[in-house]
Amino acid sequence: MSDAAEKKSTPRLAICLKQVRSSETPLQLREGRAIWSGNDLFNMSNADEFALEEALCLKDAEPGVEVTAISLGPMRTQDVLRRALGMGADRAVHLLSGDEPPPRPGQVAAALAALAGPLAFDLILTGVMSEDAMHGLVGPMLAEMLDLPCATAVVALDLDLDARLVRVEREMEGGRRQALELPLPALLTIQSSRRAPRYPTLSNLLRAKKAVLPCMDVADLGMPPAREQTLALRLPVRQRAGLLLEGSTLEKAVRLHAILTEKALL
Amino acid sequence: MPHPLDGPLVVVVAQSQGRLAPVTLELISCARALADVMGGDIHLVALGQNAQALAGEAADLSGGTATALVVPGLDRFHGEAYRRILAPLLGRWRARAVLAAHSSRGLDWLPGLAVRLGAACVTGVEGVRQVEGRLVLTRAAIFGKALEDIAPLGLPLAITVQPGAFPVAQAGETPPPPVRVVTVEHPACGARLLESPPGPVHDQALGQAQVVVAAGRGIGKPENLELLRRLAACFSGATLAGSRPVCDMGWLGYQSQVGLTGATVTPKLYLACGISGARQHTMGMAGAGFIVAINTDPQAAIFNLADVAVIEDLTRFIPAFLDCCHMGDS
Repeated sequence: MSDAAEKKSTPRLAICLKQVRSSETPLQLREGRAIWSGNDLFNMSNADEFALEEALCLKDAEPGVEVTAISLGPMRTQDVLRRALGMGADRAVHLLSGDEPPPRPGQVAAALAALAGPLAFDLILTGVMSEDAMHGLVGPMLAEMLDLPCATAVVALDLDLDARLVRVEREMEGGRRQALELPLPALLTIQSSRRAPRYPTLSNLLRAKKAVLPCMDVADLGMPPAREQTLALRLPVRQRAGLLLEGSTLEKAVRLHAILTEKALL
Repeated sequence: MPHPLDGPLVVVVAQSQGRLAPVTLELISCARALADVMGGDIHLVALGQNAQALAGEAADLSGGTATALVVPGLDRFHGEAYRRILAPLLGRWRARAVLAAHSSRGLDWLPGLAVRLGAACVTGVEGVRQVEGRLVLTRAAIFGKALEDIAPLGLPLAITVQPGAFPVAQAGETPPPPVRVVTVEHPACGARLLESPPGPVHDQALGQAQVVVAAGRGIGKPENLELLRRLAACFSGATLAGSRPVCDMGWLGYQSQVGLTGATVTPKLYLACGISGARQHTMGMAGAGFIVAINTDPQAAIFNLADVAVIEDLTRFIPAFLDCCHMGDS
């Protein structure tokens, strides 16, 4: 079989996932740094979950498609990879990195590029931005590093493997849409949408639980130095009065009612 | 470094539907704050078929120096074309910095450009200051609960600027120099623009509503929307709206979405129910007259924007509030 024919027979998708703390984790700052309790809850970043769902839908439509989940982070990040396997990803690769300080987006993209480049994926998906840091950088930076055409904030896609094309709709300001056609290989960052991420199946989860995940240390991939440095984290200054209502539920309700009445808003 | 970066700070004119997006003037203010710390002149650049008109308008409004990169055939936004045109140009100019709006467009073209330029890159910049001689940029971090102070470790600098964070730049006394017009060939691109589908139709009532009752993921389940509807019924001219996750889950239609990718509202009263307050949402409602936030998480970012903060479970609080309203009626 020729290289080209083989490529067509097993299209390869990569999905890049980030593990984030649960958004309700209490935040404590000390000397400009976040102090975490050590028993925090972690999730797959919201938009990444939608991106994974897109990848799995493509696999549902084209059973030959192979989905590889990749995540960079400390050991605990393997939980999101196991969840991805549970949801139906075929394989998972863990890029092991330190946690404090977290690597900068440009470093994450470079490590992903070092891994993904030689694997020659047909399509790489990421979430539009992480839920916690909200940089929106890793996807489009990775595309540039791999010299791939890229569309960000994609809300609909149509993969045409025969024509080696993907047609997408991306979301613009105010919800307007832009339609694009990209030649494969390409990278798309996926915006959340109506297509709710599926739940893992029990059988997949059990298999994922036992699986030994391939793990590579980012140091071995040659992560470049950071171009930016976090100096400190601090609490935002309140932009408005932020009057905190106190007392029982009913007392707070009475107070709010009085405030709104006084301001002639009620 | 063989060539020190002693060139301009380049503000790329933001566009919306082929017209100048007002956020451009905020980018100019941000660039002025950057120039105070790192030096350099500010240079406005507009790209596209109608770049001359856009550059002229931006220059007139701000009194700044502008270049129009007239690109025949570039009649709509094309992120790849932006990158391919700007990368060599900014390199030649030895630009110290490049600024884009923190928007769907800015976030599409700027990150890849930063890679090409080897730039330090920070998105969603809300503040610029100098600390001990060092440039420090501020952005929201950790679900918007914290601000992060970041120092770029070299030049050039590529940033997206959070709308609403910097003042609207004013023109000075002197008129701007004439716009320099350069015609640039449309670069060959991998991605091809197709005919754009129609966008969503926003709920007309949303833009005109005096009171907006907004649901976030924190309302827990769609059944709780009924509580919010009853809350809205206490006010005259009130409309129900939602954050993106609520619309993604189908609890409300996208026409009811408030935020960066939805509608922008400026009601007299905004009641944020179970909304965490990520910037993508608050960009659409920060101009509301009076903001009441109800959330169980005392650290939710929405409280930084609230006039009144209610740390409560809304399924308990709203019924109590409804009782107060009905007591007033009887």
